Amino acid sequence: MAVRANPHLIEELEKYGAQDVVKCYHCGNCSATCPFSGGTYLFPRKSMRYLQMGLESRLRATLEPWLCYYCGECSDQCPREAEPGETMMSMRRWLTSRYDFTGISALFYRSWRAELIAIVVVALLTGIGLTIFGLTYGDLNVYDGEGAFLPAAAIHRFDWAMAIVLVILLGINCVRMWWFTVGGDRGVRVPLREYLKLAFLVPLHFFTQKRFRQCNEKRPWAVHLVLMFSYLTMLILIMFFLHYLQDGPAINWVAHGFGYAAALGLVGTAIYAVHGRIKKTETHYRHSHETDWIFLGLLALVSATGIIQHVLHRTGQPAAANVLYVAHMMGVVPMLVLEVPFSKWSHMAYRPLAMYLSALREKAVAVESAPADKRAAVAQTA
Amino acid sequence: MKDDCRIGFYICNCGTNIAKVVDAEQVCERIAGLPGVACARAYKYMCSNPGQEMITRDIRERGLNRVVVAACSPRMHEPTFRKALEAAGLNPYLLEMANIREQCSWVHDDPRAATAKACDLAHAAVRRVRYHQPLEKVEASYAPATLVLGGGIAGLTVAVELAEASQPVYLVEREGKLGGNVGRADLTAPYLDSARDILAEKIARAEASPKLDILLRSELVELRGFVGNFRATVRTTGGPTRDLAVGAVVVCTGYQEFDATRIERLGYGRFPDVITSFELERRLRMGRLETDDGRIPRYVSIVHCVGSRNPRYHPYCSRVCCMTALKYGHEIKSALPAAMVTDLYVDMLSFGKGGEDFYRRTSELKTMFLMYEKGDPPRVRAAEPGDDCGLLVQVNERLSGEVIDVPADLVVLMVGMEARADGGDVARTVGISQDRQGWFIESHPKLAPVSTATEGVYIAGCCQSPKDIPDSVAQARAAAAMVLAHVAQGKIEVDARFAEIDPDRCSGCRMCNELCPYTAITFDPDERRSSVQSALCKACGTCVAACPSGAITARHFTDKQIFEQIEGVLAWSSSRSS
Repeated sequence: MAVRANPHLIEELEKYGAQDVVKCYHCGNCSATCPFSGGTYLFPRKSMRYLQMGLESRLRATLEPWLCYYCGECSDQCPREAEPGETMMSMRRWLTSRYDFTGISALFYRSWRAELIAIVVVALLTGIGLTIFGLTYGDLNVYDGEGAFLPAAAIHRFDWAMAIVLVILLGINCVRMWWFTVGGDRGVRVPLREYLKLAFLVPLHFFTQKRFRQCNEKRPWAVHLVLMFSYLTMLILIMFFLHYLQDGPAINWVAHGFGYAAALGLVGTAIYAVHGRIKKTETHYRHSHETDWIFLGLLALVSATGIIQHVLHRTGQPAAANVLYVAHMMGVVPMLVLEVPFSKWSHMAYRPLAMYLSALREKAVAVESAPADKRAAVAQTA
Repeated sequence: MKDDCRIGFYICNCGTNIAKVVDAEQVCERIAGLPGVACARAYKYMCSNPGQEMITRDIRERGLNRVVVAACSPRMHEPTFRKALEAAGLNPYLLEMANIREQCSWVHDDPRAATAKACDLAHAAVRRVRYHQPLEKVEASYAPATLVLGGGIAGLTVAVELAEASQPVYLVEREGKLGGNVGRADLTAPYLDSARDILAEKIARAEASPKLDILLRSELVELRGFVGNFRATVRTTGGPTRDLAVGAVVVCTGYQEFDATRIERLGYGRFPDVITSFELERRLRMGRLETDDGRIPRYVSIVHCVGSRNPRYHPYCSRVCCMTALKYGHEIKSALPAAMVTDLYVDMLSFGKGGEDFYRRTSELKTMFLMYEKGDPPRVRAAEPGDDCGLLVQVNERLSGEVIDVPADLVVLMVGMEARADGGDVARTVGISQDRQGWFIESHPKLAPVSTATEGVYIAGCCQSPKDIPDSVAQARAAAAMVLAHVAQGKIEVDARFAEIDPDRCSGCRMCNELCPYTAITFDPDERRSSVQSALCKACGTCVAACPSGAITARHFTDKQIFEQIEGVLAWSSSRSS
């Protein structure tokens, strides 16, 4: 069965940040230097070739971009300055937009203006909604106590509802990712047993990012892990322990200890990344897509408003604290609603899922190449 | 005559080329003892100036009247040593060479046997040289006019160069206009300058030159005579038949394109949007780059090596197609920036000045390059309904192993060059030969690229082999320089070695007439005798061997000389074996 070539593929990828793909002449230095390349996966060279040949369906079915953590060795070693690392990055953006069934992801990645407008609109809706809600149901005091319109319990209901919507959106995209890479591939059959046996890989890779650590350069892994754990801590605190943070005036040091550590982690990594991208300190910071800046901008905005709001609240300035809280929510809501299913935050789901799917594929490949009788037996059990 | 011979024998070490296997001193000693040998010497490099001077001095001081040089092949240095004889006032044909390098030291490794063989070869030369006769070269006049066949870029260049050097030229072109295949092209790679501009300048110069006679719709019918003294019969359609006296003929008959219908799977002839490179050139020249039904193509596929580098059609590379295909990438992109170009190639041969850079620039235009296997050309089929293209080109991509369908609205076939179907007629008429593919053969692929086996007949441009415009022009100017060198001398020296027919012994059987590869023998029907035109004869000896009456003698290759040589080779070896 012939594969259809799309001669526009490189142009398409360029909208997602790829550059200089045409310079590649397939010497293979990138694949030689990459600690992950070898055996089943020969990236980034193979993906570069798919791109140059316009094999869109092959590229959509590949997991390889998710197995790359952009240490930048390949781009450093490339004699043609074809930027294979950045190409892999842009492929992750492109794949995200392929998995996303709404088309919103494709819109955001190809037009930063559209993403910015969407953020502003969601932020304004959030701000106006909160203001109207507050003015209708009491004063603007968001904290527990007299006249509070958004006590912890109400916020919990709100963020659980949001979480369910986000999980559904991201879940559908994950199913699509599975279908493109494993499920829909007629040449691959994975026994159900393997799906269950290997399921532990998703949480394992989610929490440890252990593959990232295999890159020669360990610092990006450490920074990324700090960022992810800070997010996770914040998420758990807000979803389950919000009332400990809002209760006052005495500070609950257990809850706040986690909160402060997480805030420090978020601010620290944001500053590190902004500095890195401005000064281009590391190879993976050399090229910045507009969405990278929007992501960092939102992160900085949310961290800053959260911290100021907390300080104002604890120093007894409720009116100002409430205003800052609304501002904080105007950052948090767009970040969660737009970034998690449609942009960079989706990586948290796709990366561990890719490790799982790739392990499944390897099992399936083994089934394919097994002798005929064994293959029949495996097919029966499946 | 042989009793008063004073032979000088000189053996060359050729550095170590000869001396490392052959004991030159021993050969010297043995030859010195032969009757008639006045001196025998070995020297490191006989062909060097001191070596030549040694011979000249010995001739003068020792009164030598024959010289034998045992060294390399006579093809290498016979002219050198002949000059050494002439410098001492001795007839150059009184020299004989024994080839003890190519035919001895280079091919043997046993020093004893090789030395013995060198002795035999030297002995043979000594025996032979005693029967050499002083011969005089013959001079003939050289007509200044030149006949140029073909009005393409090569023929035009030759004609203009000669005419502007004030020599008369007849430029014979079969078609009704000048320009040839270059006249069918739009721009040229790699600098994207216009083919029409290149030609217009040449044609203007040709037409302005009073010395240049352009004969359109004309063909050469017959060529008689020999170098410097040809008679050419040129027939013009609807015009007179002329008889021209020319000194040289330059053949620039070019090439024809491969017939793409021969490769059925490419769909040429079946799909109107599968076109050849020349058809695309015409559309580009007219500025109408569209499909058969007038749509703007969104996808253009270019198939390389159509008929070239394929053992079923032509095994050779046509040399210009890769660069031309890259040129199409630029031309299509500049005419239709939204169109996507795909090159389906076997190997990208972007050699030569500016070639690699041109390839790089084309790939930066996001041209897609897919590689296919030589014997497995792509297959063109109609696209399915609802597709955004008219055709699909299926290619077994060699680097990835994928079978790929490439969308195409226009498929361009880079048809290769092939020798003209009627090239054989031209070759027979002017007396040159063709290789297996039909290209005209040059005297030496490196050192005499525009000369042919027939003196005074030169070849230039694509009739010799596929080449691009710069190479064709370079060959054309080389041929012009060859002609001018002879014209400047105004006469031609004919080698003194040629066959002679003794009219008293000739029976007029005409056997030799048919056999002569140089058509040097003519038959006089009144006298009923054949005779050799010495200027055409190359002294190959075919007629000598064939003549049933023994009436033919080749000068410098007489029976006596050859028998003596054979005796000489066998003299010592027979004593060794007994």
